[in-house]
Amino acid sequence: MTELSRRNFLRFLTACLGSLGSLYLAGCLNRQKLLTRSISPEKISPSPFLSDATQPSTSVESIEGPTETKAVTDTPSPTAAYPDLVVARGGEPGEMVRAVVAALGGMGLFVKAGDVVVVKPNICVAYHGYEYAATTNPWVVGEVVRLALEAGAKQVKVMDFPFGGTGEQAYRVSGIQAEVQKAGGRMVEMTAVKFLPAEIPGGKDLKTARIYDDVLRADVLINLPIAKHHQLAGLTLAMKNLMGVIYDRPFMHANLGQRLADLSTRVRSHLVIVDAVRMLMANGPTGGNLSDVKKADTIIASPNIVSADSYAATLFGIEPEQISYIKKGAQMGLGIKNLSKLKIEEINLG
Amino acid sequence: MAEKEASPQKGLSPGKRLQLRRASQVFFLGVFLVLFLWSRREFYLNPSLVSGFKEKLVNLPLQLDPLVMIAQFLASRTLVAGALLALITVAITLLLGRVWCGWFCPVGTVLDWIPLRSWKKKQPSLPEGLRGIKYVLLLVILIAAGLGNLSLLIFDPLTIGYRTLTTAVWPGLDRLFTALELAAFKVPFLGSAVSWIDSLARPVIIPAHPAVYRYSLLYLGFFAGLVGLNVLAPRFWCRYLCPLGGFLGLLGKFSLVHCEISESCSLCGSCLPSCPTGAIQKGEKVFCDPGECTMCLACAVDCPTGQVTFPAQSAGFIRQPYDLDRRKALISLGAAAVGVGLLESGLVNDRISPKLIRPPGVENDKFLSICIRCGECSTVCPTNAIQMAVFEGGVEGFWTPVLVPRIGYCDYSCQACGQVCPVAAIPPLTLELKRVQVLGKAEIDRDRCLPWAENTECIVCEEMCPVPDKAIELEVVEVETSEGEKHLLQRPTVIRKLCIGCGICENKCPVDGQAAIQVSAHTAAGQAGGRQRRGHGPQ
Repeated sequence: MTELSRRNFLRFLTACLGSLGSLYLAGCLNRQKLLTRSISPEKISPSPFLSDATQPSTSVESIEGPTETKAVTDTPSPTAAYPDLVVARGGEPGEMVRAVVAALGGMGLFVKAGDVVVVKPNICVAYHGYEYAATTNPWVVGEVVRLALEAGAKQVKVMDFPFGGTGEQAYRVSGIQAEVQKAGGRMVEMTAVKFLPAEIPGGKDLKTARIYDDVLRADVLINLPIAKHHQLAGLTLAMKNLMGVIYDRPFMHANLGQRLADLSTRVRSHLVIVDAVRMLMANGPTGGNLSDVKKADTIIASPNIVSADSYAATLFGIEPEQISYIKKGAQMGLGIKNLSKLKIEEINLG
Repeated sequence: MAEKEASPQKGLSPGKRLQLRRASQVFFLGVFLVLFLWSRREFYLNPSLVSGFKEKLVNLPLQLDPLVMIAQFLASRTLVAGALLALITVAITLLLGRVWCGWFCPVGTVLDWIPLRSWKKKQPSLPEGLRGIKYVLLLVILIAAGLGNLSLLIFDPLTIGYRTLTTAVWPGLDRLFTALELAAFKVPFLGSAVSWIDSLARPVIIPAHPAVYRYSLLYLGFFAGLVGLNVLAPRFWCRYLCPLGGFLGLLGKFSLVHCEISESCSLCGSCLPSCPTGAIQKGEKVFCDPGECTMCLACAVDCPTGQVTFPAQSAGFIRQPYDLDRRKALISLGAAAVGVGLLESGLVNDRISPKLIRPPGVENDKFLSICIRCGECSTVCPTNAIQMAVFEGGVEGFWTPVLVPRIGYCDYSCQACGQVCPVAAIPPLTLELKRVQVLGKAEIDRDRCLPWAENTECIVCEEMCPVPDKAIELEVVEVETSEGEKHLLQRPTVIRKLCIGCGICENKCPVDGQAAIQVSAHTAAGQAGGRQRRGHGPQ
């Protein structure tokens, strides 16, 4: 080996550090773009944007001006080809999922060929199996993965960031991993580094958050919460389920309703399917008592997160108005919480 | 096993044999690392009761370590499963000498690889008598073990290896990798590539979430100190200090195969500097002490005339001035007895720290006589809840496992520490049984807790509580804000009889710095097997 003189070594080092530094600086230029990267308008769910907000919201991309907002506000779904919300009851979980998605117009409306799809079930703890209703029903998740792949998705990633136990543990214990892999999807362990700082331009209280990169990069996000009890929020539903894509969760609790609504403006769920096959009626979100679980055999689907959550709340006998994040979401113009204004299709498979 | 084929045989040239030894070192260090990495995930992913195979495999290095196994046997008065495997090492040493040190030991391998040769300006000549330290240390460990104390096992090379890897090397690698990733994320077009690499490396090799260990620098410093001693003499640790080396050296004195320099040696002395442990002495003839020789074969390669042979016939015991003698034995006995006596007498018996929260199922009064300080529980703990005690456990409990809830909580679905523990100091329990082990009790500090002290909404501790019926109760009260507005607020209180002390509430408490809810070690007053106390309790 030839000896490297000190001078040459230093030259080499300078060259390396210089090139790395310039790349870094170039990266900083790109940083702004990275922070504000958002879902492009054509990828927003096909159903028109619904709102029963009293004041027009400027933060929502698809609402152009106050007059148009007014027009949309009171007449849901001008195209009206498909219902705003579908409820299926009484069948097997997979069967119900298939039925609700078909009634909404089929997965093809949400997932285009070649799309990267992120499915976000609620897998918040690794403590118990799905019977305890702390985590989304595995067959619901499996069926959604299958439908997305049938619609031509390039890749379907399923992920959550549990607060009790690791992702790997929770995926296995919940039974979701087995069903997802059977369906051809991929379970992704969420890693700390990939929660990258992102701006929330539409946020009123929450302006920035560390949001998971894969979720922001995805073409389609399918939100699959399980309907369950929560002591502060009242209920854990789809908007609350988005807590799993951000890093600093305790921070959210201070102004939970508003911050969840803010988060929903940035992390848009293109399709929401609420799993109420089993509902956790008390001691949520962790559960652990079978006596707290109520078997309801119900699946709710909607392209609109506020509407889906509103309907799910009624299953607990709770008015949507009482759930802070539904209220704030509706106020911000994220969707309609007044169920009488929605076109709802009910399917009975029992 | 590999060492059989590797034993010096006629036919292989010395150079080839040396390569074989280096390959063996790489291989066994690799095995050690792979087992380490594997154990990190394997146990928490499969929380079923001990299945047998995995534990045996992961704990194989420690079970082959005769020092740990004998000391543990003496102190706990029970023979743990797999302890007899250490007899393999004993047999191999009696047959082939200290091949453990030269061919297998991961610490020895690292010391070989970082000789710090260029740092040595001139070789200081150290007194040969220093070699006796390792024998004294060995005896002190064994005698103390007989008296029920295992504190000094922190000097066993394998426990040093596990400790350093767990608390310093892997977290360090994780941080470096993370820093590189974060820098690369900012470079245009690299994002998805980094994302892909990240998904390959985590969580299999590098933890998915940053591993946190207190006092990492202390552990790294300890190991760096061992390496740094190489400046004074090559393999300083192995020559002078290592108690396991001392044990194997005693056996090696009687080994069948040993290094012999033939009568026709020209006394050129080229073998002297090549010996990493300085086992070769030159007097009227050249002699190699089999108790110090690690069978590294360097001398055979460096001998210009091929005088170094490894005959398979015992040379008989030749006493060296630094060997164990009556004086050293008496010193050891005295040191061990005084040391253990002082630890037991209450002079340093401050073991009642409320922060000394032990892993699930540990019987505190027996624990110190069972735990071998290997730190494997800390390695496998997925939340990093298990740290190594520095101040909590007193001198006696130095580097024994302690739960630090603010760093990590005891995961309700994990029983990894009990499964991996090679000596069942943390008992292997079924998950159902582990879930009802009481580690401590949570206490709310109402002067810090947001709903109590500031009338702010927060229920994180209740939300996180994994106990099915929730060990935290929320009481709805009407409070008045500073503007005189009334609203309803939920305030948490701990239901002590339900609390298992897992610490997830303390871990997730959003209050900055010290949590507003904290777990203290569970001490049931007057309970048999409770902690020792100072002062006069009810008799």
